[in-house]
Amino acid sequence: MRKTLWKVGLSTAAVVLLSSSAAYAQLATQNINATAVVAARGRITLTGAINFPDTDPFGNPTIDAAPLTVQALARVAPGASVSLTVQAGGNFVSGTDQIPIGNLSWSSAGAGYNATGTMSSATAQPVGNWTGPGANNGSQTYTLLNDWAYAPGNYSVTLTYTLTSP
Amino acid sequence: MNTALVTSAVILLAVVVIEAQRGITVLLVNLPAQARLSFSTASVTFPDADPTSTPLVASVPVDLTISVRARVQTNSQVTLTVQSTDDLRSGVTVLPASLITWTVTGSGFTGGTLSRSAPQLVGRWTGSGVRVGAQNYRFENRWTHPVGIYSATLVYTLASP
Repeated sequence: MRKTLWKVGLSTAAVVLLSSSAAYAQLATQNINATAVVAARGRITLTGAINFPDTDPFGNPTIDAAPLTVQALARVAPGASVSLTVQAGGNFVSGTDQIPIGNLSWSSAGAGYNATGTMSSATAQPVGNWTGPGANNGSQTYTLLNDWAYAPGNYSVTLTYTLTSP
Repeated sequence: MNTALVTSAVILLAVVVIEAQRGITVLLVNLPAQARLSFSTASVTFPDADPTSTPLVASVPVDLTISVRARVQTNSQVTLTVQSTDDLRSGVTVLPASLITWTVTGSGFTGGTLSRSAPQLVGRWTGSGVRVGAQNYRFENRWTHPVGIYSATLVYTLASP
């Protein structure tokens, strides 16, 4: 019994010796420098169209458009603030008729997005604020006040979104 | 008579030459294991790019040509590895070294992902020889990367048992 144990011990020692003799020796080394340039960038992606179908103002004092998907991508310094604003080019216009742009409002969903807002052509309105780089995804649902005073027509306006960072 | 003398001289000369050819020369050449590693450039740069249109940024230069010369024992394996000394750093901002990957051309060379914790295989061969291939480094470009100029040192090591 003792003899058998001794044999096992020898075998183990031999394996250890073989392993150590197979270690790799360093023949040559060389260094290469790697540099990655990451500059400030931004991108706004709006998916969807903002349309307000005609409805009876009596039963529908406001009209909701389908949600607009908003993605604000910002690559900035750590801790840098990022803001997304929207501004109308003017009032809604149909020929010579107009609808005040202040009759357009929105609600938002998504981290960093302002819960609500009212459109203006005079000053940019905040849509969202964030800190640092990242992809900021959310949605806006626009609502138009449906007033009996509107003249019939197809009204349109241009909304300009701006993503900024100091 | 003169002809006989000349003939004898010629025969004698031939004998001398034959004797000389019987000499034994032993040439002793000592060939220790040697290796040399060389690259087409000392640095690679990943230029800034839009992460949406260019999610993987190719290095400049695109090809990092590697020349491996190794003189080792017959049937000995020769391996070339690369390891980053650290993650990519820009001041206190850090990006993981694993954002850098590579593909290769050339026999015995292999693609991989950079690591700062363990050497990654670039090529493996058997026996002595000259092996030439190229690495094409790429940097994973994300919107979440903070702005900066990041750098790291890549250490290549050629080894054999």
